[in-house]
Amino acid sequence: MSKKRIILDILRHVVLVLLVAFWLIPIVWLVATSFSAYPGRNTSHFFPEEWTFNNYIALFGSDTVANFKAWFMNTFKIAVVCCIVSTLFTIMVAYATSFFQFKARKPMMNVAVILNLFPGVLSMISVYFILKALNLTNTHLGLTLVYCASSGLGFLIAKGFFDTVPRSLCEAAKLDGASQARTFFTIIMPLSKPIIVYTIISSFLMPWTDFVFAKMILNSGISDMWTVAIGLYNMLERSLINSYFSIFCAGGVVVSIPISILFVIMQKFYVDGITGGAVKG
Amino acid sequence: MKKKILAFIMAAATCFSLTACNTDPAGAGNSNASNPDAGNSNAGDSTPAGDGSAIDLVVWGPEEDQTFLTGLIEDFKKQYPDQTFNIQLGVESEATAKDTVLTDPSAAADVYAFASDQLNALVAASALANLTDLSDAFKAITGSSIDDIMAQNIDGAVAAATKDGKYYALPLGAGNNFFMFYDKSKITADDVKTWSSLLEAASAAGKKAGMVFSSGWYNGGFFLGAGFTASMNDDGTTNIDWNKTSADGISGVDVVEGMITIASNPAFMAIADNDISNQIASGELCAVVTGSWDMLTCETAWGAENVGVAKLPTYSCAGKEVQQGCYSGFKLMGVNGMSKQVGWAAVLAEFLTNESAQMKRYDARQLAPTNIKASESDAVKANEMLAASIAQDAACGVLQDVGDKYWDPTATLGELIAQGQLKSGDTAAIQAALDTMVEGVTAPVE
Amino acid sequence: MAAAGKTSAKKETFLGSVGGFFKSFFTAVAKGDFFVKLSLIWMGAGYIRRKQFIRTLLITAVEAAIILYSIFVAPQYVTKLGTLGTVKMESVFNINTMKYDLNDYDDSFQILLFSVISIAIWVVALFIWMKNVIAVYELQQKAKRGEHINSFVDDLNGMLNEKFHVTLLTLPVLGIVMFSVIPIFVLILVAFTNYDQQHMAPAELFTWTGLSNFINLFGGGGLSITFGYSFTRVLIWTLIWSLFATTTTFFGGVLLSLFLRNKRTKLPKLWRSLFVVTIAVPQFVTLLLVRNFFANNGIANTMLKSMGVTQVLQDIGWITSDYIPFLSSPGWAHVMIILINIWIGVPYQMMVMTGVLSNLPEEQIESASIDGATKFQIFRHITMPYILFVTGPTLVTDFVRNINNFNVIYLLTQDVYTTTNQALANSQAKEVDLLVTWLFRLTQEYYNYKMASVIGICVFVLCSVITLVAFGLMTRGDKEGVYN
Repeated sequence: MSKKRIILDILRHVVLVLLVAFWLIPIVWLVATSFSAYPGRNTSHFFPEEWTFNNYIALFGSDTVANFKAWFMNTFKIAVVCCIVSTLFTIMVAYATSFFQFKARKPMMNVAVILNLFPGVLSMISVYFILKALNLTNTHLGLTLVYCASSGLGFLIAKGFFDTVPRSLCEAAKLDGASQARTFFTIIMPLSKPIIVYTIISSFLMPWTDFVFAKMILNSGISDMWTVAIGLYNMLERSLINSYFSIFCAGGVVVSIPISILFVIMQKFYVDGITGGAVKG
Repeated sequence: MKKKILAFIMAAATCFSLTACNTDPAGAGNSNASNPDAGNSNAGDSTPAGDGSAIDLVVWGPEEDQTFLTGLIEDFKKQYPDQTFNIQLGVESEATAKDTVLTDPSAAADVYAFASDQLNALVAASALANLTDLSDAFKAITGSSIDDIMAQNIDGAVAAATKDGKYYALPLGAGNNFFMFYDKSKITADDVKTWSSLLEAASAAGKKAGMVFSSGWYNGGFFLGAGFTASMNDDGTTNIDWNKTSADGISGVDVVEGMITIASNPAFMAIADNDISNQIASGELCAVVTGSWDMLTCETAWGAENVGVAKLPTYSCAGKEVQQGCYSGFKLMGVNGMSKQVGWAAVLAEFLTNESAQMKRYDARQLAPTNIKASESDAVKANEMLAASIAQDAACGVLQDVGDKYWDPTATLGELIAQGQLKSGDTAAIQAALDTMVEGVTAPVE
Repeated sequence: MAAAGKTSAKKETFLGSVGGFFKSFFTAVAKGDFFVKLSLIWMGAGYIRRKQFIRTLLITAVEAAIILYSIFVAPQYVTKLGTLGTVKMESVFNINTMKYDLNDYDDSFQILLFSVISIAIWVVALFIWMKNVIAVYELQQKAKRGEHINSFVDDLNGMLNEKFHVTLLTLPVLGIVMFSVIPIFVLILVAFTNYDQQHMAPAELFTWTGLSNFINLFGGGGLSITFGYSFTRVLIWTLIWSLFATTTTFFGGVLLSLFLRNKRTKLPKLWRSLFVVTIAVPQFVTLLLVRNFFANNGIANTMLKSMGVTQVLQDIGWITSDYIPFLSSPGWAHVMIILINIWIGVPYQMMVMTGVLSNLPEEQIESASIDGATKFQIFRHITMPYILFVTGPTLVTDFVRNINNFNVIYLLTQDVYTTTNQALANSQAKEVDLLVTWLFRLTQEYYNYKMASVIGICVFVLCSVITLVAFGLMTRGDKEGVYN
């Protein structure tokens, strides 16, 4: 019996190791290639034949193709603003729809669900011309607006979370004479840490991963203006990939660093946030 | 229910912002005619001085050109010290310029480099200024008329920049065609004369000879060599006759049979479009059909002394050897038709494409000059690669002039051949595939 | 059935409240005093009567802004909405300014866009105008009853209390209207025009063409035979993809998290973190990386060839090439895309499921296992129903999101995949395209905005039908009532 158990246990962990290995192969390849002395895509060896740190140095060098410092700062700037605004918008809408019973509530929520069904790439052209009318194309402000202006539509998960917050807390606060705004900021916000963290993470990630909108709006061709996503995507263009693939990998590794840190710090909240919201969907 | 202050403010803000911002672009777009521009007061002056304020220009050039363009732009400012220029340089590859420009021509660069096959679409979208109409500007600033400027370039390049008898761009480089690169240590110059001898030699060397089949640009060469044509109409549709019999008496089916013979040879490698450089670098190839941009990759892979260049081989088709043709194109420098500073943009474009600029470009990336004087310089004449490129054009180069609908159907035809889905001898299937391809290419533009 | 009943009930209450709104407006107009009637023209009139001066000022400013906009900005666009413009752009070079002199041309797209914006503004203005009369009438009645009339400070306080939701919603709603609603309306309208490469604004004009684009899509004439065929092909793959992408990552996530939370698994946290690492690398980096990894001459092919796998596959006739066409031939590419999506999606789902499973009804499981239920039975009858109950709605939204999953498909197949289906090629589609990626290429490479809009509308209809049916089937009550 116990022998069988041990074998099963070993098997279980062997399976796990295999799974993890499967999941980590591309990541290992990414990291390994980022240290490769060969600039192009190495097709014959998994690990580089010659190791170097130069790709990281090149990444922060003065080359316009690998203008990573500027891209990183641009993206970071956009991500921070976007993250604050999106989080506020999402929480505000979620709170209003969860805690207030006003006439337009149901129709508004239905409209939001419908709007979410339209593919975003489609409205791109109109969004571009609206920004142009506001003289905001080719600016980071314009791009930030695109990322966070409609973020209120993503309120459903947060609303699900708010729905689980006991109403008695608010009643108590009201009896103590606190205004609705005060209740919101002092009681509800602290309680909602998980969902806020969840929203922060997902909105922070947006500018790091989107390249379609970014490429369309930041269309001056001046690489100082770009975000990380456009810059890295550009490195894989057919005339560049042979000299920049390893640098692209290095860029991928560096981009992952802030995101990983964010994840490690906020992992616990993140899980709570999604599930708290998902429970009520 | 009645305290809607914030809602009011919001509405007001919307209105104001829309009013404010809305009149602005409308004004910018329409006002030049009505606006008594400061420049008009100079009407009596013989030299157009503009209105004295800084002239903002944006230039787009490919990644390879950035360094020397930066230098040239500085030279340009020195050339015209009376004007204040504010010139920004951006990256846009010649191959993708059209896609970026057409998304919003009015936001695109004032001066940009592009490949000659994009000319028609760009003209249709008013994204290229009619340089013939700007002749006065050239004359006033540089002293030579547009005709003089164009006359400094080879005829083919001028033709590529012309539409309906008007000039729409300035040539900046030639050699946008493809020919044969081979590894001299494995293959002899005689081997590359025909596909069959080439593949035999490659097989003997234990390597492969590669070409892209899945792109209408490359695989069109087989048809062009056999005397077929493809051309574009004014409305953007494409004429193509590849499913018929060519002027040389070769049928489309024969050409496809010839391609199948090559594709089915184990020593042949059908390379995916976009993947040529990678394949050269991987070392499996000893000969490859590509263009000047892959010279460096070949030198790295085979060693600089081993790189041989030649015009494309012949292929056997309908019982004879047919010279494989190619599309040839030019790199052009265009002036945006929606530029707010179209005159100075044109002058700058001329500066970036004149003889000395073309020589500098040649030094930077071995791009064949179109300027007659530059192309006759000793350095250019001694360049073997350019010689091969020119030889190919002379043998059978056809100026690329096809519409957007050309690309997907022809790419698919090439892929069908490369993957062996069209079988040799199955004439009916080949003819049907050609008919379907022609139907797709000639479809009306929506 | 249930769904239909529910929505119609909703509609009634919504229509009811709209009706009530109009009723109170007309009551106010009929029964209001002179100042109420005056506020039909000067919106501040009613407030100045009640000495609410700041309000008067604000509302007057709003009214002035709307009127100015309607007189000076809107007409140049809205009056041309019927034709979408008639004057083509023409430019004449002026040697003295070194610039172009442009005529007063019409830009069809600007006309369309600003007409939509103007109409949106007018709808809002109409609402404010009616609401204002009602509010003023209520003030009148309050005054009559001798009740307290709010000062401006009271109003501001109200915005932080009973009207706090208005404060909260204003900015987000404004953002949504500007960047979601208006673009979507413009997009819908474009589907009824001939906005394409032959009619590119601003250089050319485009105009209304009625339903012809829809007729073309569904086999009405001309070349559309292949367009309709391609639409069907792409639609089928979109649905298959979405189904597989949603279910595989979902069950993968459930199984993985069950596996990790099993008591016999040592160091669950370490394992979990290792999986989470893969989320930290941005999706577009991993996708572009994986695409190079599995390229025809990529590292995966090199390794498999040296291991002899390629040879085996050739021998059994699965491949004819001397490499495995992971992402370059139909079938292979379809499977690979779904597998790669599993790779991307499972760690994420695992995190979600870890949270969901931490609330599993443990007592129930224990009593079941005491009753002699096997592990599989427990999973089948307790764990799975619980998970489905909790995450059902997210499954539906995930499905819809996958229908619109642009990134995975585009980044994996763009420039890599060449179709061998000529009918698809003739309408610029590929076997691996989703509706959205096809649409994206139609707009970005072929400027076929009108057809892209038609496809976009179809995607929307598809998504809404799926959502409605799925939510109807679930018939889960509105749980929020429990807490309210």
